[in-house]
Amino acid sequence: MTWDWGAVADFMPHFWDGLLLTLRILALGSLISFALGLVWALLMRTPTRWVRWPVGVVTEFIRNTPLLVQLFFLFYVLPEWGVTASALTTGVFAIGLHYSTYTMQVYRAGIEAVPAGQWEAATALNLPVARTWRVVILPQAIRRVVPALGNYVIAMLKDTPILMTITVMEMLGEARLFAQENFQFTEPLTVIGVAFILIAYPASLLVRALERRLVS
Amino acid sequence: MVPGSRAAMAPPNGNDRDITGPRRRSLLAGVAALGALGAAGCSRVATASTEGGGDLLDRLKAAGVVRLGIAGEIPFGYIDKNGELTGEAPELAKAIFKRLGVDRVQPVPTEFGSLIPGLNSQQFDVVAAGMYVTPERCEQVIFADPDYQMPDAFVVRKGNPMGLHDYKDAFAKKAKIATGTGYAQIEHAMEAGYRRGDILIVPDQVAGLNAVEAGRVDYFTATAVTSRLVVRTSSKAEATKAFTPVLDGKPQLAGGAFAFRRTETKLRDAFNAELHKLKKSDEVFRILRPFGFTRTEMTEMTAKELCGG
Repeated sequence: MTWDWGAVADFMPHFWDGLLLTLRILALGSLISFALGLVWALLMRTPTRWVRWPVGVVTEFIRNTPLLVQLFFLFYVLPEWGVTASALTTGVFAIGLHYSTYTMQVYRAGIEAVPAGQWEAATALNLPVARTWRVVILPQAIRRVVPALGNYVIAMLKDTPILMTITVMEMLGEARLFAQENFQFTEPLTVIGVAFILIAYPASLLVRALERRLVS
Repeated sequence: MVPGSRAAMAPPNGNDRDITGPRRRSLLAGVAALGALGAAGCSRVATASTEGGGDLLDRLKAAGVVRLGIAGEIPFGYIDKNGELTGEAPELAKAIFKRLGVDRVQPVPTEFGSLIPGLNSQQFDVVAAGMYVTPERCEQVIFADPDYQMPDAFVVRKGNPMGLHDYKDAFAKKAKIATGTGYAQIEHAMEAGYRRGDILIVPDQVAGLNAVEAGRVDYFTATAVTSRLVVRTSSKAEATKAFTPVLDGKPQLAGGAFAFRRTETKLRDAFNAELHKLKKSDEVFRILRPFGFTRTEMTEMTAKELCGG
């Protein structure tokens, strides 16, 4: 096996482009999944089953089908019905939506872990429901689940290469294009592999540290 | 996948601190072991005997089967509705390999951009995808002489609303371009002024058609016959008139040919000899005609002149 530092140098400009895009996808995808997951979790706690039931079906469906299939569906099938978005928008939305069905369970666990006494105290103080959620329940629930959410951010990071399949030029896309143009696969793929470790491992240490501080 | 990765990422609580040390060390040992395995695997790849032009033809004769790398591109090499391998290149390969004493062909479908890497990593024996002979590719593989020559054509929205005819004109109109992964058209477009980052790279021609229909790009460029065939069932797109692309400042028709590993010159030469016989007897045209090729696409070009230098 040969290793060519020249190829690494040639790849670096493309690598930075890819890295920036990967981080952008990750940031936007995380925001969508955090926000949407919270919406799902709250909807699942509404008293009427006419809301709970459809939300449950939709989120179960999304969670139990592969992200790749969802991505292809959004990218190749929706335009047939006149719904078109750029590859990047489609990809960010798909990954955010997919992960929101996981984060929703994280929020659910966090909400259920708030002691019943907190609810009772809020009732005794005659706090309105909206205010109870906003200032009593959610601050305690979310504090507990921040590390779990962080883990999903890391998982999402590792899923961003899937977006390559719908022509989004994130890190893996850039590496593949470079490899196919120059017929050198070892160097670009190694570079992005190392980049994933350099991002994911410190991130997982951070999550562990957060866990120690916030949960205990 | 996700719950698993979550468990691996951070233990759910902190009470396993005492085992963190050894665990980390065994993890490192595991990584090192994997690395060693990987290195051993790499050095073990069977490289064909390099002296004397390789013995692949003898091995293929003994096995009675040759593996063809195809890219699922109609009409060059694809699997038809009945699950049969067909296309311009595989049909020609069947005829030629039969004459060389290899009776069966076996398709290995992959992405166009993965054909040369796949060939060089022994995934298949020959690239039978009507691949254009270009100087860059000649550095990686060796080609038989072209079996056809071909201009380019665009896939555009019905009625060609932007009036696109060739790369220069499309670039001047700032039309958004797409082409396939590893296609020679990337080079053709860059010759007209497009930057690499401006070109949307799609996995294949159907995805390219989809990009045009959905309005993500203004045109998709490919070989004339690819463009002609991919729009056949589309009600929203059409193919433009074929034109000769410009390379290094002068118009140059492209020639498509079979590709072999650089070490297998014996096989390539034997293949070439049979190909020339078939060209003389006009058998090549008879084989290619059902796939939409015309008399003007038959060629006398050689791989050598297309490789340049």
